Amino acid sequence: MKKKIFYYIIRRVIIYLITLFLSFTVVFFFLRMIPGDPVTRFVRMIEQRFSYSPMSIETINAWKTRFGLEGDIFTQYRRYLERVFLNFDLGPSFVAFPTPVQDVIAFRLPWTIFLLGLATIISWVIGTIVGALAGWKRGTKLDSILFSIALSMSQIPYYIIAILLVLLLSYIFRIFPPRFALSLQINLFSLEFITNLLYNSFLPILSLVLVLSFGWLLSARFITISILGEDYLLFAQAKGLKKIRLLNRYVLRNALLPQATGLAMSLGFIVNGSYLVEWIFQYPGIGGLLQFAINILDYNTIQGIVLMSIFTVLTANLIIDLIYPLIDPRIRTGE
Amino acid sequence: MKTSISSFKKKTRVLSFLKRSIIFDIGFSIIILFVVLSLMEPIINGYILKGQGVLKSGIFDKYLPPSFEHLLGTDHYGRDVLALLLASLKNSLLIGAISGGIATLIGIVIAMMAGYLGGKVDDILNGITNTVLVIPSLPILIAVAAYTRLNLILMCIVLSIFSWPASARTIRAQILSFKERPYIELAKVTGFNSFEIMFKEILPNIAPFIGIGLANAIIGAIFAETGIRLLGLGPGEIPSLGLMINWALAFGALSLGHYHILLSPAITLILIFTSLSLINIGLEEIFNPRLKKITGI
Repeated sequence: MKKKIFYYIIRRVIIYLITLFLSFTVVFFFLRMIPGDPVTRFVRMIEQRFSYSPMSIETINAWKTRFGLEGDIFTQYRRYLERVFLNFDLGPSFVAFPTPVQDVIAFRLPWTIFLLGLATIISWVIGTIVGALAGWKRGTKLDSILFSIALSMSQIPYYIIAILLVLLLSYIFRIFPPRFALSLQINLFSLEFITNLLYNSFLPILSLVLVLSFGWLLSARFITISILGEDYLLFAQAKGLKKIRLLNRYVLRNALLPQATGLAMSLGFIVNGSYLVEWIFQYPGIGGLLQFAINILDYNTIQGIVLMSIFTVLTANLIIDLIYPLIDPRIRTGE
Repeated sequence: MKTSISSFKKKTRVLSFLKRSIIFDIGFSIIILFVVLSLMEPIINGYILKGQGVLKSGIFDKYLPPSFEHLLGTDHYGRDVLALLLASLKNSLLIGAISGGIATLIGIVIAMMAGYLGGKVDDILNGITNTVLVIPSLPILIAVAAYTRLNLILMCIVLSIFSWPASARTIRAQILSFKERPYIELAKVTGFNSFEIMFKEILPNIAPFIGIGLANAIIGAIFAETGIRLLGLGPGEIPSLGLMINWALAFGALSLGHYHILLSPAITLILIFTSLSLINIGLEEIFNPRLKKITGI
């Protein structure tokens, strides 16, 4: 039995590494297909902005070496792989030159993790429980109301919900701030800091939760209804088990695994839209950094953010897959 | 001439499925309404703007509230919001349809190769599909839009590169299930080759699921396009719903209280996404009998 889990883990890790490598390669070549190179653009920008005399070829070449842009594309690719995977170096950034990109990202990352983590957990829990209940009470008025709302809400991008929430709760009713404005003077981990943080991030989190929980509701409802027809549930009912126990032990428990798979698969999607929500609220996370980097065409930082997002999504997928054996005994016993 | 085996099944009237799902009907009607509005855009805008360009500023007064003359008011440049909205709706739907179409075609080809050839080919293609599926594509698309001057077609191609995996997954699953049906065995025994089986027997039967894949791909494409435009990137001479929201936010529709400029594109977008999602579930409800019992409202 132990051996089976071991093989399962090894297999998952190998797939993880291959996927990681493949997507890094895809992103590298995809971004290099964009015409023009960042250093030439950067040089031109400096020449224009500070009216320097044109830079010499030597200077430009020195910059190119520093940014890993010398030689043909395959040399660049090899060097980039070495730099990223062996030295964990994403190159210098422009937004905060010469701070390396990974440091700039690391500074912002906790904010994004806080926003996304909290929103994902809240919406997953609410969606799964309410969805299972709706499926359990299928055909009732409550179910059809929930189902209709969920159907119409689940595909709306959260940036639109975010904008409408700002309009409603910051401008028409002035309850929450339209921009994230947390004072950095407050002592970290004090009560004041936490209340301020929650107050300021309420709208960004709400806009993610509103959309995501309806998505989870739909899938949990679907899974629950397909469980309702199973023989084991009929048997449990025939045994005369209490309804709450049936719902808890037989329905919810079996719905958890497919819901967890769904969570893993939709992480990329969750990350996708969240950057725009951050941008709308001027939230100090990765999305805000991306916007900043795009404004000054900071190539290294943009590429770093893309790679970091992929790395995070894939790693989260791996972690969820590795937790599977704990939830699903079939993997433990290898059936 | 060999006819297809599945066509021996009783033929049903083409549009009869419309009666079978109210969810589908609602979504479908809204989309049809939007398509008709987009097609009539030159006529309506010709009437509103009296022959001037939709992006030309200063034709009317700034920030007029909604009235009989300007049903949705005017914006900060004195442009008619309704005229802009129709032009943007047309472009957003066009971009969604073209990129969704390209993505679904890629999806069909990949899914047919994977589903029918099976084995190693399936493993590899499935691996690629799953890789692209988990890549958060919006930052990449934003980077591309920031660095290149995109025109409409180029934009559609770039968008479709990341939106095909969803439809490939849906279609592959269906091909795998249809491959095992008895009439496919019958077709094999009758001497149809793989190519004929694929196109004559399986493809017509998974058409509804291609529809679902298409709706998904269009949702993905409009989602990404709007996101890129929201940041003010992409071709500025082609108005789109996302770009309208960008303008509204940038020129203080919120702080100045001109909510109609922001609400018009936002509500239109919500209707597009909602009705595509209704079409999606509606098609599943009609053509996936297992699910029909499940959705049941």
